[in-house]
Amino acid sequence: MHSFYLSILKKKEHLLFILLIAFSLNLLLKNDTPNSILVRAKFLDSFSFISSPSMWLKTIIQLEQETQLLREKNLQLALQSEEMVRSYQENINLKKLLDYKRDSNFDLVASKVLNMGSSSNLSSITINVGSDDGVKENLPIIIPEGVIGKTILAGKSTTLVQLITDVNFRASVRIYPSGSVGILRFLRDDICEVREVQKNAEIKLGDTVLTSGFSDIYPPNLKIGSVIEIQDEIGSFQKIVKVRISSKIGSLLNVFVVRNGNNE
Amino acid sequence: MSSIQIAFIAILFLILQLLLVDLLSLNLIRPDFLVIFVLYLSMYKGRLYGMIIGFSLGILSNLFGVGSYFGLEPLTLTIVGYLTGYLKNIYEKVLPYIFHISWVLIMLFHFFIICYFRFQNIYISDLIEFLFLWLATTSYTMLFILSMQFIYPFKEVSSAEIS
Repeated sequence: MHSFYLSILKKKEHLLFILLIAFSLNLLLKNDTPNSILVRAKFLDSFSFISSPSMWLKTIIQLEQETQLLREKNLQLALQSEEMVRSYQENINLKKLLDYKRDSNFDLVASKVLNMGSSSNLSSITINVGSDDGVKENLPIIIPEGVIGKTILAGKSTTLVQLITDVNFRASVRIYPSGSVGILRFLRDDICEVREVQKNAEIKLGDTVLTSGFSDIYPPNLKIGSVIEIQDEIGSFQKIVKVRISSKIGSLLNVFVVRNGNNE
Repeated sequence: MSSIQIAFIAILFLILQLLLVDLLSLNLIRPDFLVIFVLYLSMYKGRLYGMIIGFSLGILSNLFGVGSYFGLEPLTLTIVGYLTGYLKNIYEKVLPYIFHISWVLIMLFHFFIICYFRFQNIYISDLIEFLFLWLATTSYTMLFILSMQFIYPFKEVSSAEIS
């Protein structure tokens, strides 16, 4: 027995290595267990403030740039607004005539990005809204340029968002105007690929990629990106479509949670 | 250096990682200061410290937010701690280039695991592209390691406890 203890003591570093590796693999394989989710949510709620100085600094740096962009946008919008008001009135009159039912009704929650994780590749962000604001798991996250992820963990006041750049992110999409559907997943930088697209689908460069509405998470017609490359898979009945998504993912400051989506 | 001092420096590195990583991000690729710390610590104090601190830092880092691979960082940092522990006190015993190739290989292995998880779609579809991304991710952190060599070279770290 004594020699057994001695041999364990002698090989403690190797045993510890095996133990830690086994524990890490266990965590990796059981990402979605309730206990793991609970611990992660509690931790995020308690310690997400630590990274707020860097986000503040980032905000300051980007503020000047954003102000300039907003000024330009403001000018453009001012020019457009008069025409839009006229069109809006005309639209109301026409809707009344056609008894048109307004059916686009997003319930959006504005939120601020608290941190962007610390791993060497960006795959998640933490935002400053949680279950207290009615946010739960599996809600779409959008910015004006389109969908950028979904909520995966909701604490009381913070929520962890799985970004479109996460390797396990998937979304059912429709490519317009052809109407072809496929499954979107991240490839690299700001490029995703859509697989499972029928080979005979008429897709052109620049076509718009929107959510299909087949998923329980994403309502239909949320913008995702535009087509930049089409590849025919040799020996297959399908083609691969490469899509450029928003390039702002690396510098997000504010995002919206779609609490209740109905955009059919 | 006592265990408390090591734990304190480890937390400092974690905060540094959290605060600086976004500002130093290049095209979604970010430097990994935690692996640099684990590398130095294992060379200085050995495998046991390297593994424990690597695992703890990995867990804490993942708790601050990671998408769908919670547990990956403790896994890779534990491996780095374990493997780099072999480099403790051996600088004087082996040829310098063998010593340096060893830690470079450990870094390459660490980032290979991370990149394999992260870019597994590209690994399957385009191996050349994957290799480029892997080397780019590794090189970015290596730049920081190389600049650290001017301040506190591995040569001194590896033999610090002997002297």
